[in-house]
Amino acid sequence: MSATRSPKVSERVAPKAADPAPEKQKKRRDDEDDGPDFSTLFHAWVESHRASLVDSLRRLAKQPIGSFFTCLVMAVALSLPMGLSLLLNNVERLGGSWQRAAQISVYLKLDASAHDGEALRTQIKGLPGVAEAEYVSREQALEEFQQQSGLGEALRELPDNPLPGVVVVTPAEVDKPALDALRQQLAELPKVELAQLDLVWVERLAAILKLGDRFVFGLTVLLVSALLLVIGNTIRLHIENRRTEIEVIKLVGGTDSYVRRPFLYMGALYGLGAGVLSWGVLAFGLNWLNDAVIGLSGLYGSDFSLAGVPGADGLSLLLGAVLLGYIGAWIAVARHLSELAPR
Amino acid sequence: MIRFEQVAKRYPNGHVGLHELSFRVRRGEFLFVTGHSGAGKSTLLRLLLAMERPTSGKLLLAGQDLGQISNAQIPFLRRQIGVVFQNHQLLFDRTVFNNVALPLQILGLSKVEIAKRVDSALERVALSDKSALFPGDLSTGQQQRVGIARAIVHRPALLLADEPTGNLDPRLAAEIMGVFEDINRLGTSVLIASHDLALIARMRHRMLTLQRGRLIGDGEAGQ
Repeated sequence: MSATRSPKVSERVAPKAADPAPEKQKKRRDDEDDGPDFSTLFHAWVESHRASLVDSLRRLAKQPIGSFFTCLVMAVALSLPMGLSLLLNNVERLGGSWQRAAQISVYLKLDASAHDGEALRTQIKGLPGVAEAEYVSREQALEEFQQQSGLGEALRELPDNPLPGVVVVTPAEVDKPALDALRQQLAELPKVELAQLDLVWVERLAAILKLGDRFVFGLTVLLVSALLLVIGNTIRLHIENRRTEIEVIKLVGGTDSYVRRPFLYMGALYGLGAGVLSWGVLAFGLNWLNDAVIGLSGLYGSDFSLAGVPGADGLSLLLGAVLLGYIGAWIAVARHLSELAPR
Repeated sequence: MIRFEQVAKRYPNGHVGLHELSFRVRRGEFLFVTGHSGAGKSTLLRLLLAMERPTSGKLLLAGQDLGQISNAQIPFLRRQIGVVFQNHQLLFDRTVFNNVALPLQILGLSKVEIAKRVDSALERVALSDKSALFPGDLSTGQQQRVGIARAIVHRPALLLADEPTGNLDPRLAAEIMGVFEDINRLGTSVLIASHDLALIARMRHRMLTLQRGRLIGDGEAGQ
């Protein structure tokens, strides 16, 4: 046999006769069977994670366009519900506080004097459940009406001021039954003709916002499912491309978690990329809309403007995106790992 | 080291891979398994690697019953085994060094230890100067030697090889067998499935002969 063996290999291998004899070799194995200490195992674990992370980054960087578009698709899926949610928050802000919206107008009798009105305002202010009370005299009411209605000339033709004095009451809390009780109490005060609680538009706005919230929730569920499918499919393709590698890893003793790890990092990295893109898209989009909103609100004498993406929301978006990427990858790997048995 | 006791493997389609096979392999032994295509050589190796489980009988490897081993234990069993394939199963996007280092990375050894062991394994197969190359840059024989280096780098107790010289010319085949003998001299049990009877006969080691899943011969090659 040695006659047919390549001298090159024989020569290289021959010095290995100086290697430990089988007995020594066996002893060395026995020594190693004591197993590594905790520190060694911990460093190995950290090193394994670092290697998986670097490997995943390298693979993503190797296909920059493909990786970018995957992140972009995920970013769109994230931005739609997040953007709608931010817009709804702004609409709520635009609607003003519930407290301001739920004012009770207390109309006085026509024979009530300004002195009566001021006295009533003081009395109402002292009632429990009342945060603020403001008296608007008949003259002020007429003046405002003339300015706002455009019927100034016609109103001047009237022999008397037809408008009553009003006490505008701002309740301390917005609670429909409590507000109804307060309105009833106010209506029974002397010199009061009518106490009117106008919650209709507030209730409509609340209903619209509730509908909006539900729509955003439904959209979020749908798009998160779509996002999981996108990431799952992307990871599945990565798994297919690395099938041989996975089979070899399993044959040389790689555990399922070792096989799974780089794909989980990849999913999380896709999520991170999508989160960053989504945050950028939302910040840019809200800023772009803001110019138009400021112009529109200026026409109504308001200084309302859209709030950008709050830092906490942005961070939640990032964390959520990373988590979704991780979960999507986990589902994909768990689903396909059993198919990756060595052949 | 290895004990087959009436081990049978039947597949769901009715094909019988192995019929009640019984034999033992001692620690440090060098053994050939031979037979024609379909004789059951690959089935035997797949059972030893826990890629399949016996249908009946008892198969013990280093004291572990491979019929009862849990899926979670299989990776740890395979860490005691080195395996060489006819088609090398190398990763062509990794350097020779990184191919050989793979089992050690899985074991979680330090970079220094990995470098030391990979260098030693590559030296053993006379490829020290090729560690930075990719498998695609190497000849078939060199690729096979990279596969062997990867199989021995973690110092397995058992080395399995499935037709390791199948694609090689006689000179390279003899060279590879020489490497296996060197590894065996260091205390590793070696089990090689091969149908190259001429090569086996020259090496004078124990040989099991299979035919249609049955053991029909157990003796020294060449006798």
